Amino acid sequence: MSDDLIEIEVDGKSVQAKKGQMIIEATDTTSSYVPRFCYHSKLSIAANCRMCLVEVEKAPKPLPACATPVAAGMKIFTRSPYAIAAQKATMEFLLINHPLDCPICDQGGECELQDIAMGYGRGISRYNDNKRVVKDKNIGPLVSTDMTRCIHCTRCVRFGEEITGVQDLGTVMRGENMRIDTYVEKSIDHELSSNIIDLCPVGALNNKPYRYSARSWEMIQHETIAAHDCVGSNIYAHVLRGTVKRVVPRENEAINETWISDRDRFSYEGIYSDERLMSPMIKKDDQWQEISWKDALIEIVEKLKVVEKNSAAVLASPNSTLEEFYLLSRLSDELSISNIDHRLRMVDFTDQLNDPKIPLLGMNIAEIENCKQIVVVGSDIRKEAPIIGHRIRKAALSGAQIGIINENINEYFFDVAVYLSESIIGNLLGLLSALNGEPPEEMRDIFKQIKPTKEQQKLAAILNSKDKKHLILGHLAINHPYASVIRLLSAKIAELTGAVLGFITEGSNAAGGHLMGVLPHRGFAGSSQEIIGHSISEISENNLDLLLLFNAEPGKDIPSLSAEKLTDSLVIALTPYATENYKTTADIMLPIGTFAETSGTYINCEERWQSFSGIANPVGESRPGWKVLRAIGSLLGMSEFEFESSESVLDEISQRLKDTPMSNEINNFSLQNKIKEKDLLGTHLVHRVPMYEVDSVLRHSASLQLTPEASRSDST
Amino acid sequence: MKKLKSYIKTFLLWELWQGLSITLRNFFRPTTTIQYPEEKTPQSSRFRGLHALRRYPNGEERCIACKLCEAVCPALAITIESDVSDDGTRRTTRYDIDLFKCIYCGFCEEACPVDAIVETRIHEYHMEAPGENIMTKDKLLAIGDKFDNLITKDKAADAKYR
Repeated sequence: MSDDLIEIEVDGKSVQAKKGQMIIEATDTTSSYVPRFCYHSKLSIAANCRMCLVEVEKAPKPLPACATPVAAGMKIFTRSPYAIAAQKATMEFLLINHPLDCPICDQGGECELQDIAMGYGRGISRYNDNKRVVKDKNIGPLVSTDMTRCIHCTRCVRFGEEITGVQDLGTVMRGENMRIDTYVEKSIDHELSSNIIDLCPVGALNNKPYRYSARSWEMIQHETIAAHDCVGSNIYAHVLRGTVKRVVPRENEAINETWISDRDRFSYEGIYSDERLMSPMIKKDDQWQEISWKDALIEIVEKLKVVEKNSAAVLASPNSTLEEFYLLSRLSDELSISNIDHRLRMVDFTDQLNDPKIPLLGMNIAEIENCKQIVVVGSDIRKEAPIIGHRIRKAALSGAQIGIINENINEYFFDVAVYLSESIIGNLLGLLSALNGEPPEEMRDIFKQIKPTKEQQKLAAILNSKDKKHLILGHLAINHPYASVIRLLSAKIAELTGAVLGFITEGSNAAGGHLMGVLPHRGFAGSSQEIIGHSISEISENNLDLLLLFNAEPGKDIPSLSAEKLTDSLVIALTPYATENYKTTADIMLPIGTFAETSGTYINCEERWQSFSGIANPVGESRPGWKVLRAIGSLLGMSEFEFESSESVLDEISQRLKDTPMSNEINNFSLQNKIKEKDLLGTHLVHRVPMYEVDSVLRHSASLQLTPEASRSDST
Repeated sequence: MKKLKSYIKTFLLWELWQGLSITLRNFFRPTTTIQYPEEKTPQSSRFRGLHALRRYPNGEERCIACKLCEAVCPALAITIESDVSDDGTRRTTRYDIDLFKCIYCGFCEEACPVDAIVETRIHEYHMEAPGENIMTKDKLLAIGDKFDNLITKDKAADAKYR
């Protein structure tokens, strides 16, 4: 037995426990279950519910298992008459003030209090006096409150203190008058705050959009993957008669632990938006008319057959599945269309030939919290990838030094060692100079004039260590007008300091888009192309004859492509929604399914392949995207295109990838655009997308659109 | 001898008279049949017939959409959809009972925490068109309203055994 293991006895069985472990952690490894409300493995110990009282030999009183450390030779009895009596007495106290309206409570059927009351509660209450009533609070459009049901376990309060860092909820008053409150009337706005719904052991804090619409036992739980950021959080969707009713986290320590962002939790509402396109539509004499699937597909194939190859483009959302990307890439190869892209919000494509084959985080998501120094460049990390933001916060709490280089100032709920605001490039040059680095050839003149500021020197000093460190480029750096400069300078700094360079990409499957060759300059698995297609900005400027939009909304998903620019083009839109932008620009609209209605695979930012199946019934006549693409391909007479399921597409992808292995080293970045000094060192207008507008499903999620975050539309 | 006895009985129509004596005996026995539909048998207050949804005396629906009846129904005859009502309470937006599926076991009535769904004494009903077998919320509430007095009386009679 090693030194930090000791032997204890639980209900007569000998158990090995770690020194300093609490009794409840030791008993959880055995079959002896100790009832608990306030204890949660991800939160600190409060020991205020007293439900986990157990008998310990030679202890004068029952002890709370969650707050008593184990000691060698300890004899613990979790089910002795003495322990059960203590637990039953606690239960009776808890039930004094708890309302007995389980039939109307949304927690009914999945309530920890209800479950434990089955085992430890009395059949009949001995309490005949008035019960406590607490006024409900309005804490925003996402979380409903029934504060009378609260048993004061303070999990939500500790979550705010320890996980989000925002103390929105707290306890006020004492004893009988104690209540959980925001103190001043306010909504809880942190991007992870809705996790208190899962934490609450009773029905006090619950899911507001889901309120009263279903019961836990009648829904079917399906595993799926969240589709709004490059993290790919694991989620469960609860489905009632083919309709997604709510989304809850699926525990995966490697990615999202037990949390998910509010965005992933409430986006399902977008599936049932009124703006869903219900059937294929065609524009005739400026009037939208319904058309059958068959006629619509034939119409599209005829258009695709005659189109001038150079004058057609395919634009796909970065949220498309791997299978959809693959079919799009094969379709455009067949039609020899080289204008194909999924990087819809990017501006600077000058150095794209030196792109990494797949832009990745460079390390596993779970490893971020072990880094000792993290520099985040051009990213509002909390909004772009809330789970990665949380990991960075965990790193900061365990002593990592965080540097942030960004043009605008965002709020972080941890100590930021150095915050370099204003020009990203200016700051990177200053940092490079403070690190005594060599500038790229073309920037030598500018570099001479740069004198590192104190703050930049401080960050350089922090980075001058041998610890594990990470340099992350976010959306604002990727979509920056001088993205290639930022990338080159960041790579230089990373090389100098030994940091791992990583990218936070847009959408849930940008890695898949790169791998499948949905790019103008690359083919399948990063192969180089003979003809390099137009970039997004060139596509927007030149009036192309035909545009195939795959869930990419002009103006919203593709900011550079406005409705006026598309008047002369024939636009075929495969879209789940019929928004104004589509109605004015498109000529044919085909309804495709959202992430819940289609099966597929996402590759997240740590190159983890996660497949999921379609879980909800399709809305209207919509079909999964891959099926529509397959039908188009078959009508075009493509060979070996008869896929029967998305799995068979995936099989073909895996087979082809096996045959073409791919190097994954980060390439040497270079500078290819002329650098104008005045412009370069200033701050730039980067198209900054509010958190709840990054993709079409989110834009249609009613409750998320009611949050203060959604009404904040600041672009810097 | 036996032959002779049988011969005489045949002549006297003995077996006919024997049979007619049963008829005569039953002619004077008290009757057990009734003249349905003019006459009706007495019914138990626990009779499990057509369903009804009840209201509180102030007109408020009793049903709180807890869906326990839906969960307990062995024939899966009940379909409920629920939502937040205008006054913020939990209410059904759809409450359907398929009478073709229902086996009239009365479990829904047993499961109901607010005595909203009940099985009434009504057993004389029929359907004329397809789809009429689905009892919607409106129909169920209408039955509850119409037979409110009867249901209340029956419930009161049964209360002491519950």
